[in-house]
Amino acid sequence: MSCLPYFLYFKIIFLVILSRASCELLPCCASVLLPLFSHFSFVPLTPRILSLTPDFSTFTLTLKWSDNGSAFPYGLDASWEIEILRKETMEDVTRESYNSKLTHEDIIHSWNWKSDMPLECTSHYVRIRHYINITQFDGHKDWSDWSPVEPSGSGLFPQDTVVAVGSNVTFCCVHEEGRQVQRMSYGAKDYPLIRLSSRSSAIRVLNANASDASGTNIVCRMSENGMDGTVLFVGYGPDVPEDLSCETSNFVIIKCTWKPGRASGLYGVRGTKYSLIESISGKNVSCEVNEMKKERICGFPVLADQKTYSFVLGVSNPIGQTEASLLVDLNQRVNPETPEKLTVSGNSSTSVRLHWFINGSFAEIRLLCQIEISSGHSEQKLHNVSMPGGKFSTYTAQLNALHPYTKYRFRVRCSAADHFWRWSDWSGTEEHTTLEAPPARGPDIWRERSPSGKSLRIFWKVDRKLKMSVWSLMDFFVVFVADNVKTDRAVAMGNGIYISWNSYPNMTCGYIVKWCHSSGSEPCSVDWQKFPSNTTDAVIKSALFRPGVRYNFSLYGCKSSGYQLLKNITGYTKELPPKRAPNFTVEETSSDSILVKWEDMPIEDCQGFLEGYRLSFAKGEKDALKPRLLESGNPELKVKNITDLTKKSLKILDLQGKTSYQLDLQAYTAGGLSPPNSLYVVTKEDSVGLIIAILIPVAVVVLLGVVASIFCYRKREWIKETFYPEIPNPENSKALQFQKNICEGNKSLKTLEMNPCTPNSVEVVETQSAAPKIEDTEMMSSKTDTIVPEDGSDSETENHVVVSYCPPIIEEEISNPPMDEPVGLSQVVYIDIQSMYQPQIKPEEESEIDLVTTAGYKPQMQLPVSALKIESRSPAEEESDKTAGYRPQANTNAWNMDTPDSPGSVESNNENASFGSPCSINSRQFLLPPKDDEDSPKPSNTGWSFTHFFQNKPND
Amino acid sequence: CALRARDSWGIFAFLCAALCNLPAVPALNGTEELGAGQSIQKTYDLTRYLEHQLRTLAGTYLNYLGPPFNEPDFNPPRLARAEQVPSATVDLDLWRGLTDNARLAANYRAYSRLLCYLRGLDGQVGTVELRHRLGHFCSSLQGLVLSIAGVMSSLGYPLPAGPAGPPAPPGAPAAPNDFLKKMDDFWLLKELQTWLWRSAKDFNRLKKKVPPAVVTLRMEARGF
Repeated sequence: MSCLPYFLYFKIIFLVILSRASCELLPCCASVLLPLFSHFSFVPLTPRILSLTPDFSTFTLTLKWSDNGSAFPYGLDASWEIEILRKETMEDVTRESYNSKLTHEDIIHSWNWKSDMPLECTSHYVRIRHYINITQFDGHKDWSDWSPVEPSGSGLFPQDTVVAVGSNVTFCCVHEEGRQVQRMSYGAKDYPLIRLSSRSSAIRVLNANASDASGTNIVCRMSENGMDGTVLFVGYGPDVPEDLSCETSNFVIIKCTWKPGRASGLYGVRGTKYSLIESISGKNVSCEVNEMKKERICGFPVLADQKTYSFVLGVSNPIGQTEASLLVDLNQRVNPETPEKLTVSGNSSTSVRLHWFINGSFAEIRLLCQIEISSGHSEQKLHNVSMPGGKFSTYTAQLNALHPYTKYRFRVRCSAADHFWRWSDWSGTEEHTTLEAPPARGPDIWRERSPSGKSLRIFWKVDRKLKMSVWSLMDFFVVFVADNVKTDRAVAMGNGIYISWNSYPNMTCGYIVKWCHSSGSEPCSVDWQKFPSNTTDAVIKSALFRPGVRYNFSLYGCKSSGYQLLKNITGYTKELPPKRAPNFTVEETSSDSILVKWEDMPIEDCQGFLEGYRLSFAKGEKDALKPRLLESGNPELKVKNITDLTKKSLKILDLQGKTSYQLDLQAYTAGGLSPPNSLYVVTKEDSVGLIIAILIPVAVVVLLGVVASIFCYRKREWIKETFYPEIPNPENSKALQFQKNICEGNKSLKTLEMNPCTPNSVEVVETQSAAPKIEDTEMMSSKTDTIVPEDGSDSETENHVVVSYCPPIIEEEISNPPMDEPVGLSQVVYIDIQSMYQPQIKPEEESEIDLVTTAGYKPQMQLPVSALKIESRSPAEEESDKTAGYRPQANTNAWNMDTPDSPGSVESNNENASFGSPCSINSRQFLLPPKDDEDSPKPSNTGWSFTHFFQNKPND
Repeated sequence: CALRARDSWGIFAFLCAALCNLPAVPALNGTEELGAGQSIQKTYDLTRYLEHQLRTLAGTYLNYLGPPFNEPDFNPPRLARAEQVPSATVDLDLWRGLTDNARLAANYRAYSRLLCYLRGLDGQVGTVELRHRLGHFCSSLQGLVLSIAGVMSSLGYPLPAGPAGPPAPPGAPAAPNDFLKKMDDFWLLKELQTWLWRSAKDFNRLKKKVPPAVVTLRMEARGF
């Protein structure tokens, strides 16, 4: 077959036939012919696909074919063109080329193609053709036959794959013929279907997110309740392990730790796997790691005779793999196991031996161990011991210079001595008490003779470490007590008390300060302190000192003949406010003073050197709800400060009589004020003042009375002449003074005096008995009633009425009664008035207005309203109102115009109509016959009023 | 079935008679008298507790399986593989027609096998918390199996032989893919739920049947 004739083309078609023999000579002819061949195109043989193998798991097709190279000269370039298509869609998926050299041998070529969708999804077909030397060969070049890959079976593909986050994945649902894919979902979301063939559909998921622990479900739902599914695991490739570190704690196992970095999002069999490879020895171990822990640990056995280890930590998961490496010298990475079985032994008062065990083989290194020593009295101390290591052995260390009879606590930790890496954990703590030792010196003693001098009291300081016994009192002991021993006050200093004294030259063997631990009397708990003779001051400190407690110190000087009491000192470590205030009582009270007395306070209550008392007082009842005097910020609060401690009473002066006072007494020290003690005192009544306060006014009144009586008696004639003359002087008569100030706005004297006024208009009206519609409104009726005779003498004549006219009132349109304007009396002006109101008046009413205006005197201000309302009057009412006769000009309605809704209510009170406008008052006083208008209102009017009263009542 | 029922009643009557005659024996104590009734009550209580426990467990587990398994209307076709899980979908009339013994035995067998599958779940679960809860549920279910055995023995029924004892199938054959495994899990939980629901009914009925007899026995015993 390899010797089949073939054709050569050289521009013009040109045939060369090579025999089989010439083929064998090819190497030699090739060198000759090759340059020549390069200018030729060979007619390629139709290639034949040897095999087409699908790898479903990797979506890969592997194509194999032979190049038939034996049939061609050596070294020809061969190009292969491969075409792949998916059958049902007849979609040309790809057409790719592949180049090779022909080597005069039949070579089988293999070519892989990775599909972007599972191969199960649909059938794939592959064919191939080739060119020799030239790709633009336009001669005859045949394709091979299609080679198919026909998947079988149905389901959802790919099955159980793992991909990296962000990948694009195509899923296809392959089903039986005749079924229909209804929908396909990825996770909870449906994706648009891509139809691949009659029995397969696909969805394409782009940029897949990390899946949940159990993977993301892809479900294909088909007709007839068919369902298929698969699970996709989307995660991350492993991170490069960080902080890889290896150490040994016992030279048996090397423990390597690292941080895994980002979680892969894959679990179980797909989770990240670690293996530790030691490249020097070539050993490797796979690591069982706990996925839940942040830090991973893997153990590697220590190899004999190997000190340097080169570790490579391989990390892999289905998505990828990575590694980290570390080179360690094991001797420099020793973190010994925690020491255990710590014991302490010793039969000395100052030294002990410690023993402990370390579970490890440290024979080749030295260990450095640290012993922590702590006792109740002193601070912790660390003691380092270096020692050769052993194989699983016990280590011993000796500690010296300990205190006798002291309880110590020990614990140990170790590390490598030469190359420190890390301390082990501390061992458990072990306690040990050192043995007792003989005392280094005798006890500190003090002796006191009893007051009677017959017995001697011996004190010594207790040292619990020492056992004591009194054998005998050998030394001679004398205490001299001078008569004039003075007492000083000591100064608090820090938590002690500062005491100083003068230097006494004859005190040769020092000083002793002695004190009691209670301020009470004997027997007390005595303590003392010795000082050398060159000392002149000291700060006495004791854990037993308490603030607010007075301590008495005695300073003794020591001389050869005995001790001498030099002085007494009292002091506090800290002064506190007194516990309470002194008890105090009110000794006596008067109307303006209170005498207060108080008692001495016991020293225990003072809690400091008493500096004085503070008495505060203010007016105040005994009321539990009221704030305390001192807290209230009372402005009347007065405070008296008593610094003279010998004073035990105080008189408070300048108080008010019969007043309750609250008194608060406080004592104070440098530490502050005590809580107050309160008293309530009521001062006595000031009787003298009261009597005087009553007597003086009475006396003054009596005196005035007497003086007045005398005066009246003496001037009785004059008085009678002045106030009650037999014949009254007309000039003195008030009744004739109405002409005065009539136009000056004097309210009390508004009469109808014309002269001083400038008349605006004067209206002379003839009263017509047939003015039927006047009493329409209250205003109207009042107008008709206000018939004012010009001279004021004849109130009964209704024929002529002179009306004063006050222009401002008109301008105000009825809103206000004529209060201030003087009533002018002048010519008739109804033309003006009418013209003024004409626009508001209906033509039919004009005649009636005339009637109204002629009805008698009326305040002009009311005209328009009355004109408007005339019509609504019933004749009966008009009649009755006509007979009503005189009414005060001041219309009650007029000043009630603000409330136009309630005319009747005002009208009903026509007895009171005289109140209000000064004009009306005037007219009543002077123009009406007495009693006529007030006492006998016309009955008809009253009736009208009542109806209105009832009508308007609801409006109120 | 009828024969068996008669048998069981016979045994029961025999037991009753025996107990009636026993009061003279001073060693007899109250707890033994109450054995059957009490253990049925306890089994009933345990079943209800497991029902409750399964509700929360199933919720969590189905969420772990992810959509669509946790969708309320998810109702997949029951694949052939799932048939390995003992199905509780027996016709109710048929089920009621069985004798107490047969029903108890069926319960016992079913729970033994369900337990076996459930333990298979345990190892695969990715999250520790869920593994914990599954473990807890397994021990409760183990308790139920023992409890049913107790009821059966107290009523004098023999324990079903063979598959009931130590689980005969050594775990289910591994599912061919992860999705089918999830389907198996889904069906397992579903069947468990149905079984527990039906068992609760069974024990309730049994409880009503048994205790009165025991009470009368006790009264008679006191009468002596």
